Amino acid sequence: MSRITTDTCILCPNGCELEIHWVKGETGVRVMEVIGHRCPRGVEYGTEEVVAPKRTVTTTLRVIGGIRPLVSVRTASPIPKKKIADCLAELRQTTVQAPVCRGDKILENTARSGVAVVATRSVACRSEVRCNR
Amino acid sequence: MGEGLIMSEHPKDVVVIGGGPAGLAAAAGAQEEGARVLLIERNEELGGILNQCIHDGFGLYSFGEALTGPEFAARYIERVCTGNAEIMLNTLVTSLNEKLEMVYSRRGERRFVRGRSVVLAMGCRERTRGMIRIPGDRGAGVYTAGTAQYLINEANIMVGRNVVILGSGDVGLIMARRLTWEGANVIAVLEKLPYHCGLTRNVKQCLEDYSIPLYLSHTVSRIHGRGRVEAVTVTRVDRDGRSIPGAEFSLECDTLLCSVGLIPENELSRKAGVVLDARTGGAVVGADLMTEIPGLFSCGNVLHIHDVADLAAIEGEQAGRNAARYAAGGNARIPSEEMALVKAGRGVRYVMPQRAPIRGEGLRCLFRVSEPGADRSITVLAGKEKILEKGGRKVHPAEMIHVDIPRYRIADGESLEVRVE
Amino acid sequence: MSESAKTDPSIWDVVIVGAGVVGAAIARRLSRLDLNFAVVEKHWDVGEGASCRNSGVLHSGIYYAPNSLRSKLCMAGRELFEDWCHELGVPVRTPGKLVVAQDPRELPKLDVLERQGEANGVSGLRRLSGSEIEDLQPGIKAVAALHVPSAGIVTPYAATIAFAEDAAIHGVRFFLGRELQWATVEHGIFRLGTSQGEMRSRWLINAAGVHSDAVARNLDPDVPTVYPCRGEYLVLDKTAGERLKMLVYPVPPTREGGLGIHVSPTVEGNVLAGPSAEYGFEAEDHACTEFVGERLIREARAYWPGIVQEQVIGAYAGVRAKLSPPEVGGARDFHIRESKRARGLVNLIGLESPALTAAPAIAELVVDEMIGARERLEPKEEGVLPSYRWPPRFDDLPEDEKRRRVEQTADHGEIVCRCEGVTRYEVLRALKNPLGVKTLAGLKYRTRLTMGRCGGSYCLPRIVSILQEECGWNPEQFVLKDAQSPLFAGWVKG
Repeated sequence: MSRITTDTCILCPNGCELEIHWVKGETGVRVMEVIGHRCPRGVEYGTEEVVAPKRTVTTTLRVIGGIRPLVSVRTASPIPKKKIADCLAELRQTTVQAPVCRGDKILENTARSGVAVVATRSVACRSEVRCNR
Repeated sequence: MGEGLIMSEHPKDVVVIGGGPAGLAAAAGAQEEGARVLLIERNEELGGILNQCIHDGFGLYSFGEALTGPEFAARYIERVCTGNAEIMLNTLVTSLNEKLEMVYSRRGERRFVRGRSVVLAMGCRERTRGMIRIPGDRGAGVYTAGTAQYLINEANIMVGRNVVILGSGDVGLIMARRLTWEGANVIAVLEKLPYHCGLTRNVKQCLEDYSIPLYLSHTVSRIHGRGRVEAVTVTRVDRDGRSIPGAEFSLECDTLLCSVGLIPENELSRKAGVVLDARTGGAVVGADLMTEIPGLFSCGNVLHIHDVADLAAIEGEQAGRNAARYAAGGNARIPSEEMALVKAGRGVRYVMPQRAPIRGEGLRCLFRVSEPGADRSITVLAGKEKILEKGGRKVHPAEMIHVDIPRYRIADGESLEVRVE
Repeated sequence: MSESAKTDPSIWDVVIVGAGVVGAAIARRLSRLDLNFAVVEKHWDVGEGASCRNSGVLHSGIYYAPNSLRSKLCMAGRELFEDWCHELGVPVRTPGKLVVAQDPRELPKLDVLERQGEANGVSGLRRLSGSEIEDLQPGIKAVAALHVPSAGIVTPYAATIAFAEDAAIHGVRFFLGRELQWATVEHGIFRLGTSQGEMRSRWLINAAGVHSDAVARNLDPDVPTVYPCRGEYLVLDKTAGERLKMLVYPVPPTREGGLGIHVSPTVEGNVLAGPSAEYGFEAEDHACTEFVGERLIREARAYWPGIVQEQVIGAYAGVRAKLSPPEVGGARDFHIRESKRARGLVNLIGLESPALTAAPAIAELVVDEMIGARERLEPKEEGVLPSYRWPPRFDDLPEDEKRRRVEQTADHGEIVCRCEGVTRYEVLRALKNPLGVKTLAGLKYRTRLTMGRCGGSYCLPRIVSILQEECGWNPEQFVLKDAQSPLFAGWVKG
């Protein structure tokens, strides 16, 4: 049976209004058509949104011995939406030792998504704390 | 400037006040034009507001990538640091005058410095609960969304557990998701207009993904809680923002975040005598981003509130380059007889720049519409003559629009006008 | 915050209940004498009732019937208040006042005020015409005005804190966060039940403001009733203050019970519009309403058309302790009397305007005349006299003095509050206040932090970091006023 989902593409500020036509068969959800995009990435996005939606997770981690208490981090690429809660829970338990450099890989693979978590900012050591690096 | 003041070395070519996206780009641009640059930043690191914007979506225009705020800032910080710009951190400029003399203050030092040209890039501040006069008690737990964002993302401090957000601008929407991701219960987002103010994609990613209700045409009519916030009374409002009687309900909460507008921070500019535009809250500038004071340029959120940091940075770079040229003796002021007004016509809330040369090539106008609409026509007139028309545009006040005018000429006493119908 | 929970076993000579401006003034007066005394205050800081919620106007005495206690104490207080502030370093200004008639029908009321003022000995009163008003204070719409040159302004919370901290330096014990719950008298000694244990005293000074009737009724049923009457204010940006140099009042409304909605400049350069006057609210209901907020702008605009909505940066409310009920309106005279039923109990009830102005004179009345009638008042032998000064604001200093101080003391170079120009040095100094107050409101009133147009967006993060660095605070320790007003909900990440 054919279904239609309307959605707003989030890949760039244009925010194209997409219409995604899909069916649910025995093998899973299959996208028939995407309308309303202004660039090819919109088709990809619309398809993914219905079949396996993904999001980039950005949050902070506790830093020990740094000039600031937190470092901002991100998933290196979008992860499945349904893994966000696990990813956040995992990161809540994670602390890092200063110094942290922007781009440092904090976790190899968060919530078994295959995607790494990297630091998006650098945090230097507090001067009275001895650094190992 | 006052007696007994010590000048801090010889005058700089270009002094940039503010090290956020616009200021960083201005410093980079000025430096690349060969100017000696001094960049003054009040925080302990460069980056401005970008440092607390840990979400992604920056850099889509400029770099074709979805970067987080700090990553976007890093691109410009690297550019600035490869040159020999002097950077003063933890330093606040406390005054500025029309001779481009500034007093700055930092630990152990209070001096004055002069620039051959100065770029204002101080950004903006948030409208507060007090300014919009939300009635009720004045307990703890009322924060502006940006302050809450700083506390959560940089100071590691949780502002509350059960949160109502007033205002559907991007900051409020981003904070709804951020708070949810940190374990708070975001009860609702309220918006007094009949449409949301932030980008549509943020409504989706931040509210719909988490089933956070968005109440359009609603506002907070009273805050309850003498010690700490306990509840807010929510009312439906009409088009003019007036409460509709009998349409009230209460939401229990311990925190109210106000995301109700940004105000360009022009206190320094005002004291220097810069002419400000009441509609933008920022300086009146020409196409080169110079204010009415010779050598004083303005860019970024202090000039007009941007929604996309990329555009603020692009504007900053333009201002920085022009400031460098001015300092080098070129790019002289265009006499006012050769400048015309750029008007905000029907359907347009404001246009930038407010002044343009009467004869020009390649003028970019940035503007915002007053009301959302689908299928609108954007028209630019030079005097009474239509010189540009674009139809079928979907427009929204929350999204700044630009038009590039290729070549134009205005007769004496006439002006340029942008209309949306 | 407050003293330790240990009960003081000895009998105090004097206990003052209520550390508003009047209680603090009495404490200051007493502090120079060789007596053993304490102040009990239920809030975590002084002045949290009406004392920090008024216009800060020092009245010259035109409003009160001659020979009333109010008028005598106000006239005496007007000069004494300036003397006290001068000794302590609290700034007082004398911008003068214009009472304006917007309509010829109001002229007889101006006459009444003029005559009353003259009878009370107010100097310099002058009637002005339209163009003369414009010369003194541009932008006012009026047909005539009464010029009262001696009207003054002070920052009321500064004065209250200065009086109290000065008293504390001179040996008065302040028990903050301690509420009086019951009181009895046994063999001429008062037994006071407080939230932190019992106290005993020979004199009990009831300066409990809007709760003074309830306090008194513990011991004496024959005291007048307090009718709480709330007044709301709007605070305007300093850009408004640049255009208003004098106090401007309308002719007072007859029944309402206030002096009318006026506009007054503050010492710091803001403008206050208000207060309103509404009965029927609880004693500590300091909420602001939409209805009154609109009214304040509307009524002020009638004589000051230049007032603009965009200049509003905040609102607050105070509750007056009125002795006249709503059906009567107006205001009754101060009730400052020793109780006939309970000797040694001095009740100060119904101290609404001009109690701020009168506070030092009230202190002299209570101490020198009432207590002094039965006690020997000996000056304390203090040896080296400790001195107390309300510190001048860094932002008010001339530029070369600022530079000098910054070079001497690095902490003065770090500006923590951008709107009000408060430096790190000032914040650290305020944290070490003699009363031991460590609330955000306490810091606010001592430094002006968070009182500027940005409402604390710039300074709150900086204060948080300073308090973490200097005092090692956790998020839970940051409170606005007391344990019921925590600012935060813990760390984000442990």
